[in-house]
Amino acid sequence: MNDRENLAVVNVASVARSRRSSLIAAAVGVVVALFFVVLVVSSPEDRETAASPLLGNPAPVVKSTTLDNAQFDLSRRRGSWVMFNFFNSTCVPCRQEHPELVAFHEAQTSVATPTELYSIINDDSDNAVRAFFDANNGDWPKVRDDDGSIAVAFGVAKVPETWIIDPNGFVRMRFIGAVTKDLLTEKVTELQAAFEGM
Amino acid sequence: MGSSQAKPLSARLKSWPMWMFMTIVTVCLLAVGAGRESGPLTQQERIDVITKRLACPTCDGESVFVSQASAAVNIKNEVARQVASGQRNDEQIVAYIEERFGGRVLLVPRATGFDSLVWVLPVSVLVCSVAGLAAAFRRWRREQGLVPSDDDRAMVARLLAEEPEDHDEVPW
Amino acid sequence: MLGAAGIGGPIGRAFLLVGLVGALFGFVSCVMGMRQKDEKVLRLSLRFATLSAVSAVGAFVAMEYAMITRDFSLDYIQKVGSRSTPALYNFTAVWSALEGSILMWLLALALMTAWVAWRYRAKVTDPLVATALATMFVTAFFFFLLTIGPANPFAPGESGVTDGPGPNPLLQNHILVLFHPPILYIGYVGFTIPFAFAIGALVTGRLGEGWLLETRRWALFSWGFLTFGIVLGGWWSYEVLGWSGVWAWDPVENASLLPWITGTAYIHSVLVQERRGMLRVWNLSLLVATFSLTILGTFLTRSGILNSVHAFSESDIGPYLLTFFAIVVVVSLVLIGWRGDRLRSPGIIDSPMSREGAFLANNVLFSVFAFVVLLGTVFPLIVEALQNRQIVVGEPFFDSLATPIGIVMLFLMCIAPVLPWRKASTELLSQRLFWPAWCGVAALAVAVLLGATGLEPLLTFALGGFATGAALRQLVLATRRQKWRGLVGRANGGMIVHIGVIMISVALAASNSYTRSQELTLAKGVPASFGGHTFELKGFVEESDARRTSIKVDVSIDGGKSYRPAIHKFTSMGQNVGTPSVKSSWSKDIYLTLEPPVKPTSDEAKIKVFIKPMMTWMWAGGILMAIGTVLSAFPGRRRRPTDPVSAPVPSALTGTSL
Repeated sequence: MNDRENLAVVNVASVARSRRSSLIAAAVGVVVALFFVVLVVSSPEDRETAASPLLGNPAPVVKSTTLDNAQFDLSRRRGSWVMFNFFNSTCVPCRQEHPELVAFHEAQTSVATPTELYSIINDDSDNAVRAFFDANNGDWPKVRDDDGSIAVAFGVAKVPETWIIDPNGFVRMRFIGAVTKDLLTEKVTELQAAFEGM
Repeated sequence: MGSSQAKPLSARLKSWPMWMFMTIVTVCLLAVGAGRESGPLTQQERIDVITKRLACPTCDGESVFVSQASAAVNIKNEVARQVASGQRNDEQIVAYIEERFGGRVLLVPRATGFDSLVWVLPVSVLVCSVAGLAAAFRRWRREQGLVPSDDDRAMVARLLAEEPEDHDEVPW
Repeated sequence: MLGAAGIGGPIGRAFLLVGLVGALFGFVSCVMGMRQKDEKVLRLSLRFATLSAVSAVGAFVAMEYAMITRDFSLDYIQKVGSRSTPALYNFTAVWSALEGSILMWLLALALMTAWVAWRYRAKVTDPLVATALATMFVTAFFFFLLTIGPANPFAPGESGVTDGPGPNPLLQNHILVLFHPPILYIGYVGFTIPFAFAIGALVTGRLGEGWLLETRRWALFSWGFLTFGIVLGGWWSYEVLGWSGVWAWDPVENASLLPWITGTAYIHSVLVQERRGMLRVWNLSLLVATFSLTILGTFLTRSGILNSVHAFSESDIGPYLLTFFAIVVVVSLVLIGWRGDRLRSPGIIDSPMSREGAFLANNVLFSVFAFVVLLGTVFPLIVEALQNRQIVVGEPFFDSLATPIGIVMLFLMCIAPVLPWRKASTELLSQRLFWPAWCGVAALAVAVLLGATGLEPLLTFALGGFATGAALRQLVLATRRQKWRGLVGRANGGMIVHIGVIMISVALAASNSYTRSQELTLAKGVPASFGGHTFELKGFVEESDARRTSIKVDVSIDGGKSYRPAIHKFTSMGQNVGTPSVKSSWSKDIYLTLEPPVKPTSDEAKIKVFIKPMMTWMWAGGILMAIGTVLSAFPGRRRRPTDPVSAPVPSALTGTSL
């Protein structure tokens, strides 16, 4: 072989080596590109769903006292529709949805099958809660959940959440985040119709 | 540099029987230690072990053990209650919490389906890199044997003399 | 004063705009100067760098001034300022949230750019230096852009606001908030300089050792700050956060660890390049990875994509950072791919049992470690993007993978210091490793005698003893030969750093495996006992001021000094923050926390007691690492630039070598 052919052989070898390294660089590039796609697609919004393994199942046992030191037992509310609103006086969306709850509660006085509304209070001071309700109305019972056992039983991590329990004590619906009077009324009506039909 | 003066004692000391002895001693010590009872001794420690497996549902990543968020504190209290009642074992308590809060409360995803990738990928990367290292060392071992011949050297010298000088330049 | 006049904000913003222009013109002057080979234009770059630096300082000072004078006309002050925050925490509140911390990053970056421009002002006609400087200007321009655009710290706020909530209560508890973030940022930003020089080397094709030697000390300096910042973060977590641990594999912690991992691999692997001109692609890749990971880490923690203890707020800074990260990675990949041929080294690694072989294995190990940490941090994002459900990848994942990797690292630390370059024979190894190995056995025996259990911690103790023996052997030999000079220089300082790392590993193993904890309900005057110590509740102490009310319990340990764990309630944030109280000694720490609810009237308090062995060794190890890093920076044996130890670079087309 003459020199030019030898050089060609050497060139081919080094091209093979640099092809391998550009393959590696390309592979790294593809991985990084995929990575970008993932990061671009993911967003910092709140991601919550209103599913729960409790839906359609008997509600957990809830036995506690209210802020007025009366006893509360969910099982003794059988026969009525019950609505739990998990609340905290420092939580901004809770304060924002409060007027809606007040309106909903007031509307229950003129409804065929009224829904009983209870607030579940966890990690809050009695005084703060009383002060809030004094200033903003809302005369339904507030149930204490000092050790968080009710919140854990329902799987409630963040407030506000609203739950609807039917007269047989089964959990029917879960709302995560702030609610409106219209939304509640609409859903309650649906559930009651379905319940009557059973 | 150390005991390069071959005093009989130190040469004898560093011979392979001594290494064997050292290895046996080490293995025995490890066996003794590893075979001992270990694990949570108090109720609080058992609670700690369990809460270290649960993720705080409002914190995105912190364990219940670490977090001071109210949801985490509630879960901690629930775990403490269940540990104190002694009715359930660790797995059952974790399952109880998982049932109520969903899979997001598990600090490591269950190794099923897509989630198993989080374990599979590191292991396969490790295996591939060790294999790659071994292959590279073997290739270098082979290349060590290659010696350029006089013809090769002459060819390279000729070609270098022919090529024009090219100064390193900035490409713009 | 300025606030009342309403011009504090515009002044700050003006500084930032000037800095932006300075960075832009600096870049232009570098590029045009190189193109036209015009020295006068190149020299202008120093002026522009100074202008940018002065502007960044001005902007930072303006921000601090606004913070100190409680200028509530600015939105940022409304977010983190407060009339009731003490002066120290008010000062540090500047970097307690997103915009201010970007400003601090920018300050460090602009000052470093000016330093590079000044230090190399005589060599600015060299295209390598000019390109490096241009790279720094581009980075500075990007960060100035961030402060003008999405992360504007001088944005005006709503009118009529006269007080604010103050910084996050967790950032008002401990003086460490003055040190940990700035030290960490110096570490992060510092890696921009070696990266810039790497880009300069790639672009000009001058891939010999010159650029590397120039920035070696700077890379070590940045690495040292990053290390110390991370250790301080661990200390803060321990002393302030109250969960009794030092590391939670939190996404922000991981973001700081990732560049540290690749940076550590780099400072080791670079020795092979200096000595034998090999592993160049590795070194460039590690350097690029380190810089990219600092940007990626900033993106992950600031874009709101993940939430953690440190994460500040959601802002539209995410796309900017992600784009910059993409540009950095793509440009670097293209450059490395293009210059790939010139990076081929003539040498090969003769044998795996050699120092080069050990460093190569080290690179691979650290890369795997970085991959594991990165995967665990972003896996929840990937799952959510692809399958729209939420999962968590937390401590157990990282611990179970990091522990075996750490053990292999310890093993490498045992043998690498005694491995010679090129090739080692088994006789040589068995000679040199003999006494260090016995140190390992001794450490293991002591641990077993003291009742230690568990295979992983025991392996850690054994290998830790072994590695300490290897490091001490090196130090003893060096001091025997060179007296005090045996403690300075790269190799010897490095051994001291290794000993620090070993102390930290051993402390981590001990405290992770052998911590005992118990919850005690103490009645006043009635001592309770746990773990060989007695605890007695002496009383309650209640304090309150404008920003918080605190309740502390006075607990006497073993009838001696009182320790006061506390719970603080911050009035403006409605958040309860617990502060632990720690009794430290060399063998163990007794860590107390106060558990809510606390009823001072009832003469009873619930405390949680942790008995954590060997925690002090961790902090001592951190200090040793700092000392060792400083000692490494001193020149050891005097190396002359023409020292044959540095392999000459066979540039493919020229006969010259560096």
